[in-house]
Amino acid sequence: MTRSVRLAMGQALVEQRSFWRSAEYALFTFVFPLMILLLIGAANVGSYLPGTHIKNTTVFVPGILAFGVIVAAYVNLGSKVAVLRHDGVLKRIKTTPLPPGAYLGGLLASTVATAILLTAGTGLIGWLAFGAVPRPGGLLALAAGLVLGIVCFGSLGLAISSVITSAESAAPVTYASFLPIAIISGVFDPTFGGLPAWLSRVVDLFPVRSLAQVLQGAYTARPFPAWDLANLGLWTAAGAAVAVWRFRWDS
Amino acid sequence: MTDRAAVQVCDLRMSYGATQVLCGVDFEVRYGEVFCLLGPNGAGKTTTLEILEGFRRPTAGTVRVLGLDPAAQPARLRERAGMVLQECGFPRQARVAELIDLWRTYYPNPRSLGDLLAVVGLTEARNTQVKKLSVGQRRRLDFALALAGDPDLVFLDEPTTGFDPEARRRCWAAIENLRRLGKTVLLTTHYLDEAERLADRIAILRSGRIELTGTTQEVAVLAGLATRISFTTPALLRCGQIPLPDGIDLAVRGSESVCHSGNPGMTLRLLLDWALRHSLGDLDGLAVTAPSLEDTYLQLTGTGADPYLNQANGDRP
Repeated sequence: MTRSVRLAMGQALVEQRSFWRSAEYALFTFVFPLMILLLIGAANVGSYLPGTHIKNTTVFVPGILAFGVIVAAYVNLGSKVAVLRHDGVLKRIKTTPLPPGAYLGGLLASTVATAILLTAGTGLIGWLAFGAVPRPGGLLALAAGLVLGIVCFGSLGLAISSVITSAESAAPVTYASFLPIAIISGVFDPTFGGLPAWLSRVVDLFPVRSLAQVLQGAYTARPFPAWDLANLGLWTAAGAAVAVWRFRWDS
Repeated sequence: MTDRAAVQVCDLRMSYGATQVLCGVDFEVRYGEVFCLLGPNGAGKTTTLEILEGFRRPTAGTVRVLGLDPAAQPARLRERAGMVLQECGFPRQARVAELIDLWRTYYPNPRSLGDLLAVVGLTEARNTQVKKLSVGQRRRLDFALALAGDPDLVFLDEPTTGFDPEARRRCWAAIENLRRLGKTVLLTTHYLDEAERLADRIAILRSGRIELTGTTQEVAVLAGLATRISFTTPALLRCGQIPLPDGIDLAVRGSESVCHSGNPGMTLRLLLDWALRHSLGDLDGLAVTAPSLEDTYLQLTGTGADPYLNQANGDRP
């Protein structure tokens, strides 16, 4: 057991090193969310949610936190595993005595590290640039939401990696499969509205708005997000089931 | 079964649905030898190897690799057997030495980095990014990763398919180094010259069956091929002034005389006695040619042999 943990940690370090060495991954994962945070955040400075005293940015910053978690856990892990499988690296790992769990554990630990760094960066910039901070009683909810978000979208990332058939399509497929939902979930626009009621209900079924709302609840007082938490739990279970069921070491 | 051979394969059968890929394969790889599974594409070489590597469970038959059942004990096997698959990628951002170092952490008793680089001839490329390596260098990096755990046995699946002559030569040198380290090597190939050059013993696999097993010489004899003995026809013989030697089926073809023999020692003795008796001295141009693996293979398959088997550098279509 300790050997597996040690191997997993070693693998995680190697993955982090290779992540930071690869301009495309590091750039898309970090620069994209932080740029959106600054640009759209700047456009919302001084505005309040209609009929309230809540600043737009107080809702927008946790929305981008959710976006960052999704990029790090879902897009990154999903496309990474798809590329590793397509390149035959997973197959090569199977020729070694490295326990499969240690290898995958290393990939997941590296994903968690990336997600935490991105979340910290987003939170820090949100605070410094827009003065958005979690409410004092919301820190626990924030931590819980981040953990649940990483687990949920990480399992969904593993799940989608098994339907990606080429290295080239890995990033486009993962982005295209959540970006439209993120947009109509209002992640990029705190005042987003005007969806037909039925579409809004459909969006509610996806985990993107659920994660955003759980994190927003940590910044501004909201009713307890029972549905959102349950929804994230369901998607986690579904993602994990598909990931386990469909996981392949070779392409 | 005892652990007397590194690899033991007994009546191995494999079917995919109704298609029978292996129809009762038997062979044994002894410790310390380079053993070559030779056969055309589709003969079942890779399937056999994948069963020995523990990636596939056979339909029937028994296999033992280093005394282990590969399907039941894959993790233990992989600590002691290095595997080079036909095609396998590397992590995109890796450099040569750091990738080898990472692989070394996977094994209980790794070989030293410097040693591994030297064995496969990549010492100068140690800091090169993997994606910048040539095809041949990538293959030798495959070897280095397979050797990282200092295995007793190394599987090589078609190690030089599609390589240019220079890349092949360097790969062969790396495989010769494995032999020098005392590793047991099981390699598959469809190149006759590769088998002839590298293998201590060869098994010819066709259509899921082993046709012959042995050294190049042994398989030639098994295939019914004889050693060719030839010499310049002496003038006395050509003009019929001396009789043909007894007990030898000698054909006089103008300036050259040729015979084939399954027992070249005996034939030579008879021939030289005959030459002595007739004061022919040492026979001019005497040549003794052992049958090549190619002769054997053509004998086995008729003239319409798989074209790949006769090309030194043929690429797959």
